[in-house]
Order: sequence, then structure tokens, then C-alpha cells
Amino acid sequence: MLRREGIAALVRRVDNEPIIANLGPATFDLYASGDRDANLYTWGAMGLVSSIALGVAMAAPDRKVFVMDGDGSLLMNLGSLATIARQAPPNLVHIVWDNQMWYETGGQPTHTSTGTDLGGVALASGIRNVARASTVEAFEEALDQAIREPGPWFIHVDIEETGEPRQRPKVVVEENLVKFRRTFTG
Amino acid sequence: MHWSDVVVESLREHEVWHATYVPDAINWQVLSKLEADSAFTVIPASREEEAVGIAAGIYAAGGRAAMFMQSSGFGNTINALAQLLTGYRIPVPLFIGMRGGLSEFNEVQVPSARPIPAILDTLHIQHYAPEREDEVQKYVDGAIELAYASRMPVAILWYAQLVGAKRATS
Ligand SMILES: Cc1ncc(C[n+]2csc(CCOP(=O)(O)OP(=O)(O)O)c2C)c(N)n1
Ligand SMILES: [Mg+2]
Repeated sequence: MLRREGIAALVRRVDNEPIIANLGPATFDLYASGDRDANLYTWGAMGLVSSIALGVAMAAPDRKVFVMDGDGSLLMNLGSLATIARQAPPNLVHIVWDNQMWYETGGQPTHTSTGTDLGGVALASGIRNVARASTVEAFEEALDQAIREPGPWFIHVDIEETGEPRQRPKVVVEENLVKFRRTFTG
Repeated sequence: MHWSDVVVESLREHEVWHATYVPDAINWQVLSKLEADSAFTVIPASREEEAVGIAAGIYAAGGRAAMFMQSSGFGNTINALAQLLTGYRIPVPLFIGMRGGLSEFNEVQVPSARPIPAILDTLHIQHYAPEREDEVQKYVDGAIELAYASRMPVAILWYAQLVGAKRATS
């Protein structure tokens, strides 16, 4: 399956729930699916997208919070899984788009290409709700369960890259932050 | 009032209800009081840049969080300070327990602590270092106020002049 197919499935299921996107393709594809104030696009701070989402989930316990990570980025901040497990916010849904590569920098194979299992790391870190999907149908099933049942959830998604060209989102980061924050403060 | 109580009251005054940290003995004097106070939520992280990320997320969702670290962990935060807090204009009061100064016993603490003020200057992050108990409130209140008004991180540095030096244990 493709990242943008997964994003389309997620976006169909949200109203004012926040979606926080990893730098690079996740941010680009989320923006291309239609801009919304409750989207927070990251452009840097590689590895920290799940930490940012943990903060959002703890400050806004009444909303489901979705974060879209990358395999290379999560490998840079594996400790985040243990921190999430320790705080255990029931409203956090951590999705990892695993293309087995650092796509944004040229497609170099990451450690998931040689057998590192991020879902296994999540489980061993103490996150009990771990799902894996390689098809849109399986992803939708996992997502629906994660929306229905308390988490934290970790959804590990195997995706393919087609190399299709992407447009740089027209986003000013400060403005994005202010709009995103207003979806919570009114 | 002990300097750590001043910090607790200043955070309360400014409605900074969350704190993230990787422990150090100096900041623990504040953090242990925050943990014992049900108004505050205290979140330990595995690494300092993660603690910055969590604090940023709390602000993004409408809250306020302070971040606490030892000077040795400062280097772990630089990319998050630059690309997240400064890039997105996210205010986070940073409290840094400074080693490497008066009576330091661990020589490797020195080269990691000494460049911190210069690095903060280069990043355009304002920083203050109260040296006497009677000036802590002015600095901490002022720094927190400044952070939210400027939508930028602001750092408070705790040096041995105020908080005393850690003794080698043997
Ligand atoms: C701290 C840091 N190191 C390296 C980079 C360069 N970089 C940008 S995107 C990227 C790859 C991210 O990989 P992954 O999370 O798997 O996302 P993908 O590009 O595959 O969607 C890298 C290494 C960076 N931006 N920041
Ligand atoms: Mg990848």
C-alpha cells in the first residue's frame, strides 16, 4: 500500500482530531490530502514527532491524537516508545509508515530493511496495543480498533514508494503552529 | 523561601502545569516538589531532546510546559531548540543545572557546560543566571513572562554560586 492511501483512510475518520506528520513525505502527503487547521506539519527535529504527539495527547486528553512517523525517524528516537509506554496516554495513536528506507534523503535502506521490527520494539517497550498492516484494508481495520478502544496504540504499516513527484506544501511553520493551537484553545 | 520553592510558585503563577525532564540533582530540588503537588504533571524522558519535543507538543495543544535538564544534556537538545522551538516559535522555559563550575570534581563536565551561554547566544535564546536567593524570583518570573511574550524559549542557568556544588562520592 501507499502512504497516501493510508492518509486518505485516516483523514476520512477525523473531525477536529489532530494529525501530526513527520518531516518529509508524511508532511507532504498529508498536506496534499487537504490542508486542515488540526494538521501539524513538521519540517525538522527528526525523530521527535512522536514526542510532540505525546505532549499533545497529554495536554488534550479528550481528543484522539494521531501521529505519522517514519521508520528512520523512529529509529533515531526509540526511547520515545518507552516514554509513551510509561505515560500510557489512552488517546494516542502512533502510526509508522515503514518504507524500509530514508526516502527523503535518497532511499538509503534503514535498519528495518535488515530485520529490525519496530512493532516488536514497541511491544518490548511496554506498549501493549500493537498492530501491523500491509494492505489498506488491514490498516483501516487497525485504525478503527484504535479509534474505538483506548491506547496508546502503535500501528506499524508496511508501505511502498512509487517515486511520484511531490509538491512542497505552502506552509509557514509559525502560522501552522498558531492555527493548530487554536483548534484546542478556541 | 528556598530557590526551588520560588520556581514552583512562579510556574504556578504562570499556569505552567507540565514539566518534562531528564534528571539532574540540582533541578530535582524543584521537580520533586512539582511531583508532590497534584496541580502539576511531571514527565520524565529518556533523552533531553525528547523532553523538548514533549514540551513543544504540550504548548501546541494549548498548554504550557517547562523543561529541566543538566548541562551535560544540553548538547542533546540543540536540534530541537533550533528546528522546533525557534523554528515554530514555541515558548518553553528551560532550566539548566550547570555543572563544570566552582568546585567541580568531574573534569568532563567542564567542556560541556562552559560553551552553553555562547551556544544559547548564537541560537538567539536569552538566558539568565540568578546567583543569590533573593534575586531568584525576579529572574524566574521575568524569564517565564519573557518566554511567553516573545514566543521563544528562555533559559535559566543554575550555577554553584546559588545552588552549591555537588560533592564527589567515594
Ligand atoms: C537530525 C537530522 N538528521 C538527518 C536529517 C536528514 N533527513 C531528512 S529526512 C531523513 C529521512 C527520514 O527517514 P524516515 O523517517 O524513514 O522518513 P521517509 O523519508 O522514509 O519518509 C533524513 C535522514 C535531518 N533532517 N535531521
Ligand atoms: Mg522511511
